[in-house]
Amino acid sequence: MKIKWLRIDSRLIHGQVANNWVNHVGASTIIAANDSAAKDDLRKTLLLQVAPGRTKSYVMSVDKTARCYKNPAYENLDVLLVVENPTDVLRLIDQGVEVNSVNVGGITFKEGMTLISEAVSVSPQDVKSFVELDKRGVKLVLQQLPNTASSDFMSRLKSKGLI
Amino acid sequence: MVTVVIAAHGELAEALVHTASMIFGNMEDVASVTFKPGEGVENLLNKYSVIIPDTQKDVLFLVDLLGGSPYNAASRFVADKKNMDIVSGVNLPMLVEVLGKRLGGSDLKAMVQTAKKAGVDGIQAFHEWFDEQQMVNSTRAEEGDELG
Repeated sequence: MKIKWLRIDSRLIHGQVANNWVNHVGASTIIAANDSAAKDDLRKTLLLQVAPGRTKSYVMSVDKTARCYKNPAYENLDVLLVVENPTDVLRLIDQGVEVNSVNVGGITFKEGMTLISEAVSVSPQDVKSFVELDKRGVKLVLQQLPNTASSDFMSRLKSKGLI
Repeated sequence: MVTVVIAAHGELAEALVHTASMIFGNMEDVASVTFKPGEGVENLLNKYSVIIPDTQKDVLFLVDLLGGSPYNAASRFVADKKNMDIVSGVNLPMLVEVLGKRLGGSDLKAMVQTAKKAGVDGIQAFHEWFDEQQMVNSTRAEEGDELG
């Protein structure tokens, strides 16, 4: 499996991902790796409903995604991988998924989070995981859409006084 | 790149383009044409000519009502041009998927087919659709290393 693009987006598969990014990066398949969505028939069904015709999409747990990543049958599959948060990126890496850079695209604000851009909020747990990803040499880029500005995510965390 | 022109009654076209920017940001070669009370087919033809000064360019018109003035004017505009086409019944699913496929490098012919299909496929009745999907989903195992 070739991960053409790894995006953190708490809405997982939605218009920006299924119509814009997937065409921009040239992936044939979208995988949303998320434990709770994989177990939730309604959410899973709604997520699979988003992806247009010829794009294949899957909603699977993080563990199963890592197993499929290693399956030689998918060696040549171009994948856009979406996860909900940076902790799940770490879990993928810990299970052998090679990750060089991560597009931090959208994390919806919830109680206890800090808003750091129009589309991204972070929880204390997210900050910890971002720091760990940075330590492991993963490039973290804040960018919502292919044609909107991109910036270094760790600098943003610093400027917000979160690290 | 194929130019996409959305033409509709009232302010629908402008609103559709504005809404699509939530998904695509600022878009190149996308134009909207309004059709307001008191205007006629000639006004629309003028607007189309201003938006499309180069008639050699590939253009896809997405219009609201089949047989409405934006459609009728566009019909006159494209009738003798093989590099332009019209799909009626424009809605957000149609627009969003057409713009997505354009990013992926689709040509006019492919975009016409995408528009026709996406415009229709975007219309589903929840229970009819969901009840069928759930049966498919629940058979998918969480074990193993095969996609699904």
